[in-house]
Amino acid sequence: MTGAAIAGLGITEVGKVYGRSAADFAADAVRRAAADAGLELGDIDGLLVSGGLNRRDRVDLSLQGDLALTDLRLLVEMNAFGASTGAMVSYAAAAVTSGAATAVACVFADAPLKPGRSAGTAYASQGRRAVAGFPGLRTAAGAVGANIHYALAARRHMTTYGTTTEQLGAIAVAQRAWAALNPLAQQREPITLADHQASPWIAEPLHLLDCCLVSNGGVAVIVTTADRAASLAQPPVHLWGWAQGHPGAAMEHGSALGLRTGAATAGPAALRMAGVALADVDLLELYDCYTFTVLITLEDYGFCPKGEAGPFVADGRLGPGGTLPCNTGGGQLSAFYMWGMTPLSEAIVQIRRQAGERQVDRTDVVMVSGNGGVLEHHATLILSPHTRNGR
Amino acid sequence: MDVELRASEALGGPPVDRDDASAAFFDAAADGRLAVRRCVTGDGLFAPEVARCPRCGAATVWITVSGRGRLVTWAVVHRSPHPALAEVVPYVTAVVELAEGPWLRTRLAVDDASSLAPGLPVAVAFARPPDGESVPYFVLEHAR
Repeated sequence: MTGAAIAGLGITEVGKVYGRSAADFAADAVRRAAADAGLELGDIDGLLVSGGLNRRDRVDLSLQGDLALTDLRLLVEMNAFGASTGAMVSYAAAAVTSGAATAVACVFADAPLKPGRSAGTAYASQGRRAVAGFPGLRTAAGAVGANIHYALAARRHMTTYGTTTEQLGAIAVAQRAWAALNPLAQQREPITLADHQASPWIAEPLHLLDCCLVSNGGVAVIVTTADRAASLAQPPVHLWGWAQGHPGAAMEHGSALGLRTGAATAGPAALRMAGVALADVDLLELYDCYTFTVLITLEDYGFCPKGEAGPFVADGRLGPGGTLPCNTGGGQLSAFYMWGMTPLSEAIVQIRRQAGERQVDRTDVVMVSGNGGVLEHHATLILSPHTRNGR
Repeated sequence: MDVELRASEALGGPPVDRDDASAAFFDAAADGRLAVRRCVTGDGLFAPEVARCPRCGAATVWITVSGRGRLVTWAVVHRSPHPALAEVVPYVTAVVELAEGPWLRTRLAVDDASSLAPGLPVAVAFARPPDGESVPYFVLEHAR
């Protein structure tokens, strides 16, 4: 056994792409990923699927039929929200290294955007009445939707450690500078800190430019053994380490809401499995549903002491030319929002050295994060262009 | 009482209906009492929606708490997340730590959000909308 590698990447059209279901995007993404790897669709014997929040238009196990895949040895729908991608890839790696399957497609697809409706309403309720009981009480509390929950978390970090909206803005500015170099990015117009500050409040302390895009589309990857990946069409992306972290913090006295996430346990565990240290990490692709998510993940991974990520990011080190390149495709904030597939796909493109103008020099060790719920679920992947033995 | 009436008029938001799981909570709210859950076997206190003690698996009973607490964190919501909240933006939503330990998500009726800080003492009030159940919200202690 030589470990597992990502051998194929398929990205559909993403963004304001209308008239296609999530399942349609998912099938398209898997076909593209197989073709990218140089595999026939029939070579796929494992399929892990994850979808968005819309129960009426959600990719599920019927994807097998949509792809006419027969005799699969692995077929599971998975959900750890934004940590789903990291989870799918790690279980796929376990499957191919154990021999349970030989080529596993992992796919995320979603189609929350509808024509004539703003991105801001893509996940919003439609009825005027709250649902009954305790969920209704939460609506009455005005605490509905991710924007508000992340605003509450970010505020707690700010009031505890002195983090500022300008420091969050530095993350948005750096990522937009990367997006300007990415032909697939939905938002490529450079922004300044002043633009960030002038963008409307969504839920203070979060401005519009602290919040990710909403996108329709699908992304798939093919995971196989490192041996097999070496003979396929693309440079292999080797999986050195993976881990999840789910703090399970109760809503009571002592809760670490907004102060600490599952990244604090998943990051070190994934690095340990990979046999590398934080200082070895060349490139970061971090889940960035909000600027704040990037900030707290940097702290929890240990790139700076707890509470100091604000000043740490404010000097522009995450952007092009910086000392710690992060979200080099523009991320979910500026490129596209395909949940955990956004950071993973950019890591793959960089490791293969196919990133064009935005290609970074060093990609020997790449750290990828996924974050789900309100900072409740975390998955980390450590990727490299080298086999673990061959580095 | 005047403060409570003014604030409740301004509170707005969607009417909330009871269901079986929440009936006792809304009975207490109608009576001006804030109810949370306590484990039948111990002294663990939990948020109203926690039906079974997560620590030991035992059932919970309703108890009335003081309704006093401290502000943990808050957000000033400008982009309405729900049609029935559209006419009340911007509003303050908050997490409050009850004196007894559990955290609650709540509206916070406050004139000037710029004066807010973690740890500020808060106290429960009840909105009594014409439609639906009475709903707890919080006010700054000094505003009462």
